[in-house]
Amino acid sequence: MIGTLETGYGVWSALYWLLGLVVLFIIVYFIYSLGGKTVKASGDKGKPFLSGNEMEKEKIHVKASNIYWGFTEALKSYYTPLKGGHTGNINDYVSWFVVVLAIVLILAGGL
Amino acid sequence: MINEHLPALIIGIPLLAAFATPLISKINDKLRNIFVIGILGATLCLVISLAFNVFNNGIFVYVMGAKSPGLTLPSGYKMPVRIILEVDGMSIFMAIITSIVSLLGAIYSWAFMHKETGKDKYYTLLLILAAGMFGMEFTGDMFNFFVFLEITSIAACGLVGFRINRGESSEAAFKTMVMYTLGALFVLFAIGILYGEYDALNIATLASRIRYTMLDKIALGLLVTGLAMKAGAVPMHMWVPDAYAEAPAPITMILVANSQASLYGLFRVCFTLYGLTISTYTLGWIIIILGVLSMFIGVTMALIQKKIKRLMAYHAISQTGYMLLGVGVGLAVLSDANALNTYGLKAMEGGIFHIMNHAMYKGLLFLTAGAVIYATGKRNLNELGGLAHKMKFTAIFFIIGAAAIAGLPPFNGFASKLIIYESVYKFNPMLSVIAMLVSILTLASFVKVFQSAFLGPEIIEVKKEPKSMIFAMLCLSVIIIAFGLFPDIVVDKIVAPAANALVNSMQYIAAILGGA
Amino acid sequence: MILVLKSVIGACLVAFIGIVFGLLYKGIDRKLHAHMQMRVGPPVTQPFKDVRKLFLKENLVPENAVDWVFNLMPVISLVSVISILLYVPMGVDPILSTKGDLILVLYLLMLPAVCMILGGFASSSPYATVGAQREMVMMISYEFPLAVTIIAIVWRLSKIYSASNIFTLQFIAAHPLWNNVGVFGVIGLAILLAVLLIVTPIELSKIPFDVPEAETEIAGGLLAEYSGKNLGMFYISDAVKTVVMASIVVALFFPYNISQYFSFPQYVDYVIDFAFFLFKAFVVIFVSVTVVRTSFARLKIDQIAHMLWVPVTITSIIGLLLLYLDTVF
Repeated sequence: MIGTLETGYGVWSALYWLLGLVVLFIIVYFIYSLGGKTVKASGDKGKPFLSGNEMEKEKIHVKASNIYWGFTEALKSYYTPLKGGHTGNINDYVSWFVVVLAIVLILAGGL
Repeated sequence: MINEHLPALIIGIPLLAAFATPLISKINDKLRNIFVIGILGATLCLVISLAFNVFNNGIFVYVMGAKSPGLTLPSGYKMPVRIILEVDGMSIFMAIITSIVSLLGAIYSWAFMHKETGKDKYYTLLLILAAGMFGMEFTGDMFNFFVFLEITSIAACGLVGFRINRGESSEAAFKTMVMYTLGALFVLFAIGILYGEYDALNIATLASRIRYTMLDKIALGLLVTGLAMKAGAVPMHMWVPDAYAEAPAPITMILVANSQASLYGLFRVCFTLYGLTISTYTLGWIIIILGVLSMFIGVTMALIQKKIKRLMAYHAISQTGYMLLGVGVGLAVLSDANALNTYGLKAMEGGIFHIMNHAMYKGLLFLTAGAVIYATGKRNLNELGGLAHKMKFTAIFFIIGAAAIAGLPPFNGFASKLIIYESVYKFNPMLSVIAMLVSILTLASFVKVFQSAFLGPEIIEVKKEPKSMIFAMLCLSVIIIAFGLFPDIVVDKIVAPAANALVNSMQYIAAILGGA
Repeated sequence: MILVLKSVIGACLVAFIGIVFGLLYKGIDRKLHAHMQMRVGPPVTQPFKDVRKLFLKENLVPENAVDWVFNLMPVISLVSVISILLYVPMGVDPILSTKGDLILVLYLLMLPAVCMILGGFASSSPYATVGAQREMVMMISYEFPLAVTIIAIVWRLSKIYSASNIFTLQFIAAHPLWNNVGVFGVIGLAILLAVLLIVTPIELSKIPFDVPEAETEIAGGLLAEYSGKNLGMFYISDAVKTVVMASIVVALFFPYNISQYFSFPQYVDYVIDFAFFLFKAFVVIFVSVTVVRTSFARLKIDQIAHMLWVPVTITSIIGLLLLYLDTVF
């Protein structure tokens, strides 16, 4: 059947999934349309909930450096040597290259 | 008549057009843009007709300057001395990727580079880069491979440092130049060792004569490390974020195809040049370890980046790890016929399919990053926000690209990752687990980029995106969706011949020596 | 052609089953939770009334939100989570069993969570952003143990059988692994079952892992700016996701059917198998969601990330190692 990918141990067909999605989308959209109407709020109703504090727009947006704090904090012992290894120094780039060359030569030489 | 000379035309036309470009740009800018796009479009048509030829008739051998490889020179040489271009399934696969990516890069550059100066040098270098990549993929001769490797290195360094008003560009170009030169010199040294031993430079001749002495082992180590560095494998990857971030956005897309061309060189060396003589198990494990390190370290470094193009460059390193993993598993079981037929060939098909998918969705992501930089002028994620209110097209294309790279169904990233997971697990289950983990981390970092750049309140002024940029991104999105919906057609018609061509190295050798 | 018809009718059927039984399980869970806390609790059909009330309210879109993302995400979330039910066995063989396998189910499980996260980010409010990124951190962290569990089971199966559709849930449910492994294998499978039961409340964002929706800390978290029918859609998709996770646990570890012990005609067999599946799903939800919900307090996000990356991952790798030792001895 066209569109069915057979890897050695599993199957995947995108077209049947899309067919199911289309049918489900019709059903779910019907349920969705039973709800109340959508209102674009303005004024006080539309401001983000900040317990009543007023803030200008730049401060509302959470910056990219602060996202995923929990992850970077939990894996601190992995990230600190990793960030330290990426120095930006061209001498370090070349020394990494030579180290890998040495390891590959030793391993390939023992083949 | 054209059909007999296709490989040489595909390399020669961009090269000659590159030298004609400065002359034409003296007449008119628009004419030069149309000329470049026309040349790359014609090259795409030639590549497609060569693809039909190769898929129907087998390996296409083209000798520069003679009719058959066996014709000897007057002094009585008895083996192929001329430069021979040998196009098999894997070469034409890489050439299809290169031609699509170069054409879309040139279309995108029309609007993107509109206000910059020195555009004639830009287009010249772009055409030279494309010609060099085609040369690397078609050639059947080791020293010719080195020559085209150097051509692409010089063109790439020139394009990386194109914006000389920024200090970071010049620094990135310097670092790229050092790393490329180092890699190319080691490759030259290895080619010199092989030439000194066997008195031949042709890949097929070398493959039939190699005996795997100590010098050959040294040459293998040098070739593998040099080419893996140019492809961007960890831990030699540190030039990749610098180079990809400072090049203009369409050039970064073509640089991705350039790294994949050196990946092709790595596979050609491992499978065809050395494939018959060595025990591929250890070499396969070396490539698998390089792949796993690239995947994991690439994506965890990408999660903490603040500049949009550096983040995407680390993802390019991580996806290269997937390709190394898939093909490495195939290499490791090359000698075991049972394992090869059950899962080894499928793993290689997964890795090779991933090469094409990666070029498409990574190209789309870099083009959207270029659109963001064009519209706002800022590169740091901490200063962006709320772009989805005004730049709807870019936001939608970014969602398609991010979903494809994370491997969400029904896009093409899911299809190739499915093949890799479901064949690598047989070799070692932990490899498949690490690959799945890296996939979710990829999704996490792209959700981060989407949030900080596109969602949120509107805090930045944006310019409208021009039509040519939207057109290039639209073409890539259509290809991504089409490959995602019909992956079995792509795998059967395009990827499986490439994997078979790599595995059957005897066919490659016999095409030149058997008919001589 | 038959498959096309089957998938269209099956999609409608599965939507009905998913929504009705999902909300029913949510109601039973609340009732049992209340009784464990010595209260009476709401009636079992309370979630249906909650959804009806939410659908009556006005749908408010905040000022700074990106409209099309904000309104689209609840719909896509519910559509994608119901579509998983097409591939999971519920006592009977899944509807599209020949067209999708376990890895597809794993990736489709990511879709509703990503939709919720994008919806939270699209609200453009700091509380919503913080809640959404916590959900993403949890998603990253639970993927490692979940992937190890799934790949370990399929790998062990592939060492015994060699078929071309090992990854499909139909095959895994038809060949339960407990019968075919030795002592090491049984211990390893028990460890993997424990890991999967720990991962289930994390995936569903229930207490003690509901940091994204922490009502007391970040005022509702990623659903802070949602109201009306959008909130109703997220509520329903959370309920359906509970059913999906329970059915995956049942299909991987307890796929036994009781209809083979009776001799009834075939359609009565389907009904009995489906009823037994509902009972097994209820047991899984009781053990991993209700009991855990009543007993523990909420964890911090970096505690959750650390707990998942270090102890739970090592435990699951030990389970994989035990399964590997089982093939050697």
